[in-house]
Amino acid sequence: MFHLMQKLSFPEQQELVGKIWDSINSGLILIDSTGKVLFWNEWISMHSGIPCEFAVSRSLESLFPGGLSAAFKSAIKNASLHKLPIVLSNALHRSPLPLYPLPITPLEQDRLQQSIAISPIALSNEISLCLIQITDASLSIKRERVLQSYSKRMSLEAVTDALTGSNNRRFFDERFAVELGRAQRLQIPLSLIMLDVDYFKRYNDEYGHPAGDRVLIAIAQTLKTQLNRTTDVLARYGGEEFVIILPDSGVDGARIVAEKLRSAIIGLNIPHLASMIADHVTISIGIATCQSLVNSAAADLLEIADRALYSAKHGGRNCIRQLIVPELRPDSKFAALS
Amino acid sequence: MPNTIKTLLIVDDSRVSRMMIRTFVHAKYPQWIIIEAASGNEALQIVDRDTPNYCTMDINMPGLIGTDAAAQILTKYPGIRIVIFSANIQESHQSRAAALGAKFVGKPVTEKSVAQALGFFEGKE
Amino acid sequence: MNWLSELQIDGLTEVFNIGAGRAAASLSEIVCDEVQLSVPRLQLYNSSEINAATLTLNSLRLGAVKQRFSGPFSADAMLLFTEERALEIVHDMMGSQVSIEDVAEFEQEAMCELGNIILNACLSSIANLLNLTLESSLPSYTIGDTDGVLRGIISDANQPLMLVLHIDLSIENRHSQGLLVFLLSTSSLQKLVSHIDRFISGI
Repeated sequence: MFHLMQKLSFPEQQELVGKIWDSINSGLILIDSTGKVLFWNEWISMHSGIPCEFAVSRSLESLFPGGLSAAFKSAIKNASLHKLPIVLSNALHRSPLPLYPLPITPLEQDRLQQSIAISPIALSNEISLCLIQITDASLSIKRERVLQSYSKRMSLEAVTDALTGSNNRRFFDERFAVELGRAQRLQIPLSLIMLDVDYFKRYNDEYGHPAGDRVLIAIAQTLKTQLNRTTDVLARYGGEEFVIILPDSGVDGARIVAEKLRSAIIGLNIPHLASMIADHVTISIGIATCQSLVNSAAADLLEIADRALYSAKHGGRNCIRQLIVPELRPDSKFAALS
Repeated sequence: MPNTIKTLLIVDDSRVSRMMIRTFVHAKYPQWIIIEAASGNEALQIVDRDTPNYCTMDINMPGLIGTDAAAQILTKYPGIRIVIFSANIQESHQSRAAALGAKFVGKPVTEKSVAQALGFFEGKE
Repeated sequence: MNWLSELQIDGLTEVFNIGAGRAAASLSEIVCDEVQLSVPRLQLYNSSEINAATLTLNSLRLGAVKQRFSGPFSADAMLLFTEERALEIVHDMMGSQVSIEDVAEFEQEAMCELGNIILNACLSSIANLLNLTLESSLPSYTIGDTDGVLRGIISDANQPLMLVLHIDLSIENRHSQGLLVFLLSTSSLQKLVSHIDRFISGI
């Protein structure tokens, strides 16, 4: 390129630069330190209806009387003052310049959606210029929409348990951290339910793994329909274990929900001849409730819920055990109830 | 008037800012007595003890914020002239200063901005 | 942290506070509401010490607006926000007629502009007070999981030092914290420090 430029005469170099400018599929305006237009490419001519020959050596103000937004004017001023580049996003400014989609009609038309970048250019001879780049933002908005729906699908797959369609462990971990933070910040109660299917291994041995999978799916669906609040989060924790976050639920609230869940699973009436405690599928439930989170870490509450579940298993299964994290006593772990 | 000895209290949590204000003020009024406070709470104690003539007050400081400290000082000592000297140049702070009967001067601390503060102290506006 | 004396840290923090004040004024024009923006804390790290915990970033995803600037010293300047906060800020900036779901599609551009306002205000404040000229690239925005974004930031072996400013930003009754990070080479930091010393000794 450099070699070629040396071969070209000055007018030829100018012609080349001009043709490159005009081939670029976005708007380019070069202004000097007084705000007068030095260059103006074909894209701008087309979208403004003002030819380059007319625009050159006129100020933007006079070319677009009343058509420049205040934000655009102050951006130009600041870019030249601080010699730092400035962007005006379409999100916040929509259409700073009176440019229109093609074809331009004499009728009233909506302005083109624009994204603008203003770059100060300082030459070594202390001449300072400003380059204004304008792109048609409607294109990037469309692209963004496509990317977004794609990433939504991807992220949905990443947080869903493939078998039951419930949220997976990863989703639970994320949400649990958020809810824990919220409870701490707002000083509101938080309950965590951990439950598992009684004698599930025996069920698999008796009826086979595909049947076991169907039980898990049915249980996930039932649990979900029993949770009325959109803020409650059900997730498959692993194997035959499920976990439920109940934000803003205290001792009684969590217990009522747990009782509903236990009865609903009994109500499914799925035969389980290998069970030692009933002739149908049942669940054991452990609840950890924090009335007011002081210093409890996520791991603590999870561990407490796990211990509650363990105690439900050892207390005969098909039952509920609740542990309450005491208020203002972060040193002593918990007090048992029921 | 400019030759009389005045006491100025500079309230700013930044030591560099206090140094700059002190330097610019001293260049013009070498005889003034200048006291410094690094917080609004400290300023209240100093005002009770030394009752300065003038005060420059930063806004964003740990503890009591500058506008609240200025309000308390002016309630107790309405004769003290206070300049709110802050980097927070939003309209809401400027009007709060005006409502208190104080003058707002935007940072940075420069010869020019300090001159604005001094103009207010010396009753030029 | 022995790189900087208490007075140097004080001077730098004040420079950035003035920048933050200017940024807040520009942002408040956009949101038509009061914006609180302050720089309460400044710390210097070796990039090897950096992780989500040292930076107290407890979020899964981060948005980062980056501008590379050069002059007497050069650095990558970056503004980091947790993603959910970033969306809330953009939402506030766009006004309540836009739903929070729709905001996501404008996030990239709007965050670029937000970062650009804050970074430029800080850069111009440095340039004015230290009396030097800085040039800067246009901002770019990246978003990703926190560890990935941080790994990307510290992978540049030529810029092993990180000047980290903790930023408090509140718009209306929303409060958010971000980080302003300057990645510097050892020699760039030395030049920055010498400019600060010159500034302080000139007082």
